[in-house]
Amino acid sequence: MTTAETGQQRRIMIELDALSKEFPGQEKPAVDGLSLEVPEGEIVILVGPSGCGKTTTMKMINRIIEPTSGRIILDGEDVTKANPDHLRRRIGYVIQQIGLFPHMTIAENIATVPKLLGWDKARISARIDELLETVNMPSSQYRDRYPKELSGGQRQRIGVARAMSGDPDVMLMDEPFGAVDPITRDRLQNEFLRLQSEFRKTIVFVTHDIDEAIKMGDRIAILQEGSRIAQYDTPEQILTAPANDFVADFIGSGASLKRLNLSRVADLELTQWATARVGTDREEALETLRRSDHGALLVLDQNGRPRRWVSAADLSRSDGQPLDRIGMEPEAVVEPRATLSDALNELITASYSVVVVVDQEGVYQGIVDIDQINESIRTMRSNAVARAREGLASDRGAGEVGSVSE
Amino acid sequence: MNFFEFLYSRREDMLTLGLEHIAVVAVSVFFATVIAVAVGVVTYRLERPREIALTVASTFLTIPSFALFILLISPLGLGAKPVVVALTVYGLLPILRNTITGLREVDPAVVESAMGMGMSRRQTLVRIELPLAWPVIITGVRVTTLILVGIATIGAIVLGPGYGDLIFTGLSRVGTPVAVNLTLAGIVGVIIVAILFDIAFNILRTLTTSRGLR
Repeated sequence: MTTAETGQQRRIMIELDALSKEFPGQEKPAVDGLSLEVPEGEIVILVGPSGCGKTTTMKMINRIIEPTSGRIILDGEDVTKANPDHLRRRIGYVIQQIGLFPHMTIAENIATVPKLLGWDKARISARIDELLETVNMPSSQYRDRYPKELSGGQRQRIGVARAMSGDPDVMLMDEPFGAVDPITRDRLQNEFLRLQSEFRKTIVFVTHDIDEAIKMGDRIAILQEGSRIAQYDTPEQILTAPANDFVADFIGSGASLKRLNLSRVADLELTQWATARVGTDREEALETLRRSDHGALLVLDQNGRPRRWVSAADLSRSDGQPLDRIGMEPEAVVEPRATLSDALNELITASYSVVVVVDQEGVYQGIVDIDQINESIRTMRSNAVARAREGLASDRGAGEVGSVSE
Repeated sequence: MNFFEFLYSRREDMLTLGLEHIAVVAVSVFFATVIAVAVGVVTYRLERPREIALTVASTFLTIPSFALFILLISPLGLGAKPVVVALTVYGLLPILRNTITGLREVDPAVVESAMGMGMSRRQTLVRIELPLAWPVIITGVRVTTLILVGIATIGAIVLGPGYGDLIFTGLSRVGTPVAVNLTLAGIVGVIIVAILFDIAFNILRTLTTSRGLR
């Protein structure tokens, strides 16, 4: 097991100490002496093949499953024998099937933990509005609905809102995005990362999907049978320097492409493109295009949102039609939070070589083209290789090899 | 005197007997519900006790009602008491079976998320499991009620209240013209009570079931 070296030493929020679980009638323990530290404010992913004990491990943290032996230390306090109901009210809990209460409204669902904690009505009501706002579901519209009246993605959002209702420091999430379609999953993942960048909860997140682990995790624990840790490290290190064959096999091929999930569009320097407002006349647009070295012009509406791609040929054939009626619609559009993998996906599906970057309001920010993505893959690879070799050097002993500078 | 004239001449009797009939069934259904739901709640998670409870409740139903009423005379005397006891015993099975089924059909993920949020076992049962099982439970109560409306008539042999009185009087006067009218009046009364109970349960079910479950 290797541990990532982090610049600042974070406080340990959850410590699992030699935790084991044996189920009656099973030969091998489901979890066999697992020790793990989860730093405050990070998302730690437990990932591994099915049956490796990752879910059992997670469920022992809030003692939905009672450990056979070992200790659970939460924020410095040994909670192995604490009152489990009180413990669970401090820990947000999201499961794959969500488990919303079908006989309660959305507001009542979210109010569950605050009620258990004895908050007063006004505070609970304000909290419901705040959380619905946070997950982008207007309170006036959704408060009094029932779970069956929501789509899968909306239920999942409510599941997350409900888990956050008591403002827990710690959240446990068991394949929370497993039951929705891939497009919704992607959107929910991005939304969740946005929330997390704001709230900085300590999260233990279980998945069987290595791509999800790489995208969501600050750290990843790759687990083998019996919940033994094959490697516990940052996604970058795991992709760069798999600790053993098990990890390498689990990551599968294409580690450098998986690394695209690690960087975001916001990390790149956006290219500025030749643009024109909707009202611009044809001559002026042609002139702008001529002065740039681009093949087409990006037409923006009054609010700065991208409307059309217009090429020189489109302009000359336009017959005086306004700019927003000619050319092609910009299909490949991403927000800065999107990963490079998302951006690349957009490029491929839309068959363009550039993707338009917009902010949350949809206002044009710049362009990312395929060369930039390619370039960052190359940089990531060489950095990763350098770091891997550095690890190699320091393992061999002090003094023998000089440090590799990046 | 045709049947309708007969009914009209006995209208006060009909009303009194009807209210008695409703009362004795309602009280019995109440006791049966309390007992059966309690037993269901205690046993639904435990295989052996669950099987035993269901077997006992089914066995009760096989006792001939006539015999049970007569057996209850010596400890409880005549009148409404032995009828209520016998009806309660007969009413257990549908409610117990539906309570157990209803509770066992609650989505395990819902229960797990309730526990995961820090609800105690009791809170989970009262706030989550019972409300979710309720539509199934109340269907059992309704079935029990319909069965008991019928059996209650036999209670007349121990001088119990209700329309059984008319039927047994008719039986004792077989061969006379009034016998048929008495028996028919008893049957009509029972049917009306059954319909009234059914309407009441439909309303009750709608009022007590969350809109999220409908």
